[in-house]
Amino acid sequence: MSENVITAKNLTLAYDSTEKIINNATFEIKKGDFVFITGPSGSGKSTLLKAFYGNLKPQDGQLNIGGLDMTNIIKHKLQELRTHLGIVFQDYKLINEWTVEKNVVLPLWIAGYSAEVQSSQAKRLLHHVKLTGKEEKYPLELSGGEQQRVGVARAMAKNPFLILADEPTGNLDEYSSNVIWDLMENACQQLDTTIVVVTHRIPMMFNIPYRHFSIDAGGNIREVH
Amino acid sequence: MKFIKTHLSLIFPLMAILLGLEFFIVFDRTTESFEKSLKNGYTMMVVAKNEMSIDDFRSWDKHVLKVEEIKKSKILNSVNIDLEKDKGENLEHSLPNFYSIKLNKYLSISELAEVKSNLKKSEDITRIETFNSVYQSQYELFSFIKFSFNTFIVFMTIIGFFLILKQMEVWNFLHAQRMKVMEIFGASLFLRSKVLINLSVVDAILSAIITSGVFFVIQNMWIRDTHMSILKENVESVFYLSDFFILLFASISIVLVAVFLVVINVKEEE
Repeated sequence: MSENVITAKNLTLAYDSTEKIINNATFEIKKGDFVFITGPSGSGKSTLLKAFYGNLKPQDGQLNIGGLDMTNIIKHKLQELRTHLGIVFQDYKLINEWTVEKNVVLPLWIAGYSAEVQSSQAKRLLHHVKLTGKEEKYPLELSGGEQQRVGVARAMAKNPFLILADEPTGNLDEYSSNVIWDLMENACQQLDTTIVVVTHRIPMMFNIPYRHFSIDAGGNIREVH
Repeated sequence: MKFIKTHLSLIFPLMAILLGLEFFIVFDRTTESFEKSLKNGYTMMVVAKNEMSIDDFRSWDKHVLKVEEIKKSKILNSVNIDLEKDKGENLEHSLPNFYSIKLNKYLSISELAEVKSNLKKSEDITRIETFNSVYQSQYELFSFIKFSFNTFIVFMTIIGFFLILKQMEVWNFLHAQRMKVMEIFGASLFLRSKVLINLSVVDAILSAIITSGVFFVIQNMWIRDTHMSILKENVESVFYLSDFFILLFASISIVLVAVFLVVINVKEEE
């Protein structure tokens, strides 16, 4: 795997041919980087994240994630790539008919890990997100903050090389937000995980160095120093 | 309650299709021998001035399969005429020849009329009796029952398919979110549909078992007490063990196609 986890060269993203969402962007994100992407609503922050996990193909330019060219990626390569990513959504995207534990170990289950490994990893992660004892609960029995912590635990279940988070603390209370930022800081520092967070504002108390990309209303990306 | 409802909503339409299929198989099997006996039991009677061989008959019509001469003495006995021996022999001698003819296949009434007119071309043949009315009424009644039954089965199957389509819409609603999330995390098509496959295969097995059970009960309880000879004579044909495997194969195939259609229709969120 190259040192650059994400490489974009003249990247243009659009849902149709008439309106460009991200316009001619060029940037590199290295292994172990913690990156915040900010910008006004509708500027294309979430769209950029979707392109990172292959939900949207570039209209023009190049996008390389973990050494894979996303412009021409084939289905099974994309599936393979996604098993090495951790994704956190603003609306959690938990499976409501599954227990908390089963939701957390989803990436391990997909990868075919044994039940013992899944169980021990679930215990460890739920301890980190301060949800010990809630293994058998269902998502809808938890508060929004707790559900998001389950979502973060799921994203980290398989020690991914890249975590993509879309407004992970958007609607959360301070306690849940702090738990999530602590976890992400630790993953970045201790495991050298690359983390890309799309957010409206960068948290005040952030303890590790980070990079900041800003997107303007025209879809132009620039790094803020 | 929710669990039972989830399963019954697939088991019912599946059973409608399987019952239709099994009724079709059983009906076809039990009536096959009856149909054969109707065809084989049919004979026409021919009266001829001179003796005729099977080849003579065949030279007039190719449908003739078998010819059997009816003994004149038998005819005299059946009409029960009490005559002196000499007179009896004279009378027997003066009687024409009677033949019972079997045909090579079941013919329609118009075809029968054609056979009759072909045979009449022979100068030796003086009279032909085709027993049209009995032949026709028996066979047409049988054909009508069979047609009605098959129509009912087709109707039941169509309703079953529509119910399964409805169930697929419910599945789509219930399982789409989970499958989308799993796809985002890189699950293969098989893994994404595994829950649905498990659920539907269990229902398919249950449906096949229940349908087989229904026919087993019909065979072992109801038919043995019935007075319908066609059923009693064919009681063993009502349900074979192999039918269970046919039903199982059919139900699993149906649900797998349904699951596949649901899975490929779930699009990843944009």
